[in-house]
Amino acid sequence: MSAPKTIPKDAQVMIQILKDMGVTEYEPRVINQMLEFTYRYVTTIIEDAKIYASHAKKSAVDADDIKLAIQCRMDQSFTSPPPRDFLLEAARQKNQTPLPLIKPYTGPRLPPDRYCLTAPNYRLKSIQKKVSSSAGRISVPRLSVGAVSSRPTTPTLGTPSVQSVSSKVGTPVSLTGQRFTVQIPPPSQTATTKTTTAASPAVSNVLINPSLIGSKNILITTNMVAQNAGGDGLKRKLEDDDDYDAL
Amino acid sequence: MAAVQGSIVDAKDEADIKTEPATDGFGNNHANDAGVLSASPSSTAPAGNNKPAAGAPEDQQTLLAVLQFLRKNKLSESAEILRREAGLPEEALDPKGADSAGSGLGSGADIDGGDASALLSRVTVSAPGGAKAPTKAGEDQPDVNVVLSAYSQQGDPALYEVYYSGLKKFIESVLDCHRAELSQVFYPLFVHMYLELVYNNHEGEAKAFFEKFSGDQECYYEEDLRILSSLTKKEHMRGNETLLDFRTSKFVLRISRDSYQLLKRHLQERQNNQIWNIIQEHLYIDIFDGMPRSKSQIDAMSGSLAGEAKREANKAKVYYGLLKEPEIELPLDDEDEEAENEEGKPKKKKPKKDSTGSKSKKQDPNAPSQTRIPLPELKDSDKLDKIMYMKESTKRIRLGPDNLPSICFYTFLNAYQGLTAVDVTDDSSLIAGGFADSTVRVWSVTPKKLRKVKTASDLNLIDKESDDVLERIMDDKTASESKCLYGHSGPVYGISFSADRNYLLSCSEDGTVRLWSLLTFTCLVGYKGHNYPVWDTQFSPYGYYFISGGHDRVARLWATDHHQPLRIFAGHLADVTCTRFHPNANYVATGSSDRTIRLWDVLTGNCVRIFTGHKGPIHALAFSPNGKFLASGATDGRVLLWDIGHGLMIGELKGHTECIYSLRFSRDGEILGSGSMDNTVRLWDATKAFDDLETDDFTAATGHIHLQDNSQELLLGTYLTKSTPVVHLHFTRRNLLLAAGAYNP
Repeated sequence: MSAPKTIPKDAQVMIQILKDMGVTEYEPRVINQMLEFTYRYVTTIIEDAKIYASHAKKSAVDADDIKLAIQCRMDQSFTSPPPRDFLLEAARQKNQTPLPLIKPYTGPRLPPDRYCLTAPNYRLKSIQKKVSSSAGRISVPRLSVGAVSSRPTTPTLGTPSVQSVSSKVGTPVSLTGQRFTVQIPPPSQTATTKTTTAASPAVSNVLINPSLIGSKNILITTNMVAQNAGGDGLKRKLEDDDDYDAL
Repeated sequence: MAAVQGSIVDAKDEADIKTEPATDGFGNNHANDAGVLSASPSSTAPAGNNKPAAGAPEDQQTLLAVLQFLRKNKLSESAEILRREAGLPEEALDPKGADSAGSGLGSGADIDGGDASALLSRVTVSAPGGAKAPTKAGEDQPDVNVVLSAYSQQGDPALYEVYYSGLKKFIESVLDCHRAELSQVFYPLFVHMYLELVYNNHEGEAKAFFEKFSGDQECYYEEDLRILSSLTKKEHMRGNETLLDFRTSKFVLRISRDSYQLLKRHLQERQNNQIWNIIQEHLYIDIFDGMPRSKSQIDAMSGSLAGEAKREANKAKVYYGLLKEPEIELPLDDEDEEAENEEGKPKKKKPKKDSTGSKSKKQDPNAPSQTRIPLPELKDSDKLDKIMYMKESTKRIRLGPDNLPSICFYTFLNAYQGLTAVDVTDDSSLIAGGFADSTVRVWSVTPKKLRKVKTASDLNLIDKESDDVLERIMDDKTASESKCLYGHSGPVYGISFSADRNYLLSCSEDGTVRLWSLLTFTCLVGYKGHNYPVWDTQFSPYGYYFISGGHDRVARLWATDHHQPLRIFAGHLADVTCTRFHPNANYVATGSSDRTIRLWDVLTGNCVRIFTGHKGPIHALAFSPNGKFLASGATDGRVLLWDIGHGLMIGELKGHTECIYSLRFSRDGEILGSGSMDNTVRLWDATKAFDDLETDDFTAATGHIHLQDNSQELLLGTYLTKSTPVVHLHFTRRNLLLAAGAYNP
């Protein structure tokens, strides 16, 4: 330990407290951490107490205010586990029900979907502008995409899209993880563009019909990691799709 | 009755009225005073009724005390009425010695649970201005003193010290054989007296009391005493659940009848009612007939937060046998094996004296029935796994004192003390680590890489009828050595692979237990139930069920397809730090910070065994493969061996110097490996440790255990690592020992 005069008094007190509580080995940063915590806690309590004192129209903060402030903070931030008798009672109730029988042949045994984390955690924005000029390319499967905002300069396509069958919000689990690159033919351009630059982040709500894919052998890869619905389009490198068919 | 507490005590009084005259007095006076406070003359009528003989000196004293109290509080009318009705002479009464026996509040009422709050309410409502007169220690007015002190904020803590010293002197003067047993009383008495003082706001006296007597306590209570020393005000106790539980639960002591008679006689003849009250209220004395125990025997068993275990706590029948393995048709090239295993029992199940090793189809009386708890049926993949398992078991090396296993150590580098949990699959193909940065990482131990399942559209394209469909569903593009799983929001404290290697469980400080799929390497479910850090989790040996234990002092049994727990195992006084399934999946063992291990029945949720003896929080548990024994390791560096059937400690392995974090039996139960913070792995001879004790004549009645001090003989080897604490041990199917830890220079 360095000479006392280089350590501030608060830190010395903290070192003493740690020693009293039996903590003999600790990293040096622990003292800073504890001091920070102490400072924050004490100021929070005192500020709360000031509010309580002024609420009670007292001129000065007194011990009761502090006590009240501490109590409120304890109930809020520093909760403790439930008391023993409550736990015993809860356990008694829970343990009365017999163990449920296990149904055979049910595949992965998971709770109902509401309680699982397997659903997609995003939702898609609805159509802003419909794609009118795609009439000539009706063979293009219609895709629903997230907000697309690809900058005109980049040859990339931001299509954080996912297909949704019949615009249901809950897409089946199996579709997660699929990747599609989509070329959305912009309304004003001709067909043979490999990359598209959407003039506006207009999104066309398109439905993919998987049955259409088969023969065309369109390899569609999309970026699946759209967390926010309507999040900005993610710039992605366009994959080299040899099988890519001009749409 | 106006006051609630008065009414509670009143009810108790009517019940206890004839049985305990001494304590009854308090209750009466409580009732009286409460009644008087509401100034109803009818309340004095019970006072009159409760005087068995008008002239009895104790009751006289009681009434005098009440009268005096009323006068103090200037309730002159009520005082007059009382005096008139009770026929008390008009005289000035000196304040009797105020026995600051706050414990008199208990008045022999054994209110378990809720006692603390009742106590608290009594204390806060108690009227001020009690007699402050100093001690009349040996005075024969216990009722009065206690009554008065019940209503006095300032008791006389000098009395506490006097009583305690008196008891100390007495115990030091008894015969040697009794002294050890009676000394057990010191610690709980000390703690309760100290807490009484703190509750009654006698800070200075509490501190003096503590300083004077804390040094006398046993060394293994040092940690608790330190926590106690920081508790100086009543408010400090409010949030401390462990301490409140300590106050409300009874500290169990096992004392032989002779010693107990001695103590009782002494306390009653000296009318030391205060200590007697504390003993009656807070201690549970489990009396047994027989020889008093020696100091070493007592030391071996004590140390837990709630004393020892009552004998009847360990009397329930436990089905510790193993479940019968199902019949599996082995493929043709294993015909010779099949001949030996007519009922499909794997060959390995022939440990020493295992009653299920016989080839008969009789049900092992110690084994639970197959349907006792519902278990998932075996799928085809499970059957294939079992066949692999049996094949591997044939190649297993037989271990023994002269044939020690090789140890392969997996060191986690660059973890910076962040490695908090490790698990290895049963076939040792995957190893997973949980880290303090809330990630879980899975590595492949074999050269085979980890691959994800293909996406749904790709899965549509593969040929489902081909033989290697299980290979084809994997997407080779995603192959990598390790996969990282993100999802938790706090350090991951426990991991467990499922038996079929499809799932991984992880539990963390954020209070959730997460189920991950090892096919897609994504999180499937988050089980929320504990709202506090979860310290350990484990899948059952058959899959489907899993347990978790955490800071909220309970362990929970879950099934993967229920979002809420199926069973709650409540009973520990402090955090549950370690949870393990028994090999037959019918029982769960939990180790806790209250230094006890409890064995719970999955079917009913009841605690069937309590094992005390450790002197520190328990961090490692291991069941022997034959299901009969349990090994436990704690921060005190000792490994204790327990016989589950009888509920007794049968061995103690000393050697480690720091906390033991991992324990594992070899596949046939011959060797026990232990890994600890002192950077060593130690191997112990398990067969020898259990050998002498296969006999059935334990003196379970008295709980006398005779531990041999043979740790040195049982130690087969100590293997040091290079500043790497050993966090996990795993015996492969062929009895190679894998160990894991994070390099910590």
